[in-house]
Amino acid sequence: MTGDISDKVFAQQVIARLPPAAPSPGFEAALLAAYDAWNDARANGAWAAWKAGLRRFSEIVWPGAPLWAPASVLAAALLMGASLGALLPAAANAEPAGFSLEQPGSFSLLSSDLPQEDMDGRS
Amino acid sequence: MHDPDAEDVAKAGRGDRSAAARLIGRHTPKLLTMARRMLGSQAEAEDAVQEVFLRLWTHAGRWQPGKAKFETWLYRVALNQCYDRLRRRPTAPLEDAADVTDDAPPPDAGLDEGVLGREIARALDALPERQRAAILLCHFRELGNIEAAEIMGISVEALESLLARGRRTLRSQLAHVKDLAGDGA
Repeated sequence: MTGDISDKVFAQQVIARLPPAAPSPGFEAALLAAYDAWNDARANGAWAAWKAGLRRFSEIVWPGAPLWAPASVLAAALLMGASLGALLPAAANAEPAGFSLEQPGSFSLLSSDLPQEDMDGRS
Repeated sequence: MHDPDAEDVAKAGRGDRSAAARLIGRHTPKLLTMARRMLGSQAEAEDAVQEVFLRLWTHAGRWQPGKAKFETWLYRVALNQCYDRLRRRPTAPLEDAADVTDDAPPPDAGLDEGVLGREIARALDALPERQRAAILLCHFRELGNIEAAEIMGISVEALESLLARGRRTLRSQLAHVKDLAGDGA
């Protein structure tokens, strides 16, 4: 045990006498520059991914067109849709459309105003 | 457990340059010395430290403070970098032997200290890599056995065994050095 302790003290003293490794001039600046590069790539990466997605979408809706063309058509379509959405409910209230399964139908198989057909389909 | 680095790691992950600079300033000297002692080459040590910081930046955004101490994680990455580089070496190259002579301290230090430093560096280089890592973590970084074992990914008992063998070998390797012979005995 005594031997082990003295080995420990010896190692401690030996390591303490090792000179520290000094970084090359500009090494820490290079590390910081690497951080800046990583940070730029990260920021540009998000923007580049967004732009690439938009470009793919525009190639589907309008192949070969510059990016602004489908974007402005999309904006115009949205504007038109919003305007129609704002106007249409008033028109729909004036004349109700549609039907309900719970209300009786407006026609009857027995109604006399339907064209009469015989079993062979002749009128 | 308060981790003094946790806040800076989170900030650096969000793009805070000054937090990154603080982390670099705080950890580079010791990381570099550790890598230098493990690899025996200044250029390789700097490459390894650069790689460690790149790993840090890419993981900083996902860092979870409560899980592990940041420094433990950092030294584990550094040690793995050193192991990878040591394993990639086909044989002990001649330039490594030449590189050991680079250990000489600045010219203003005494010649004896320079010779002594080289002798110690040579004895340390001669140790198997895991014994060397254990000695550097416990005696150079002055970490406790539990933390050093965690960094090395081994049990405390295994670490103690590596330390005991490493210290013994180091002592026998340096037995011929007069300046050290009386110090530890």
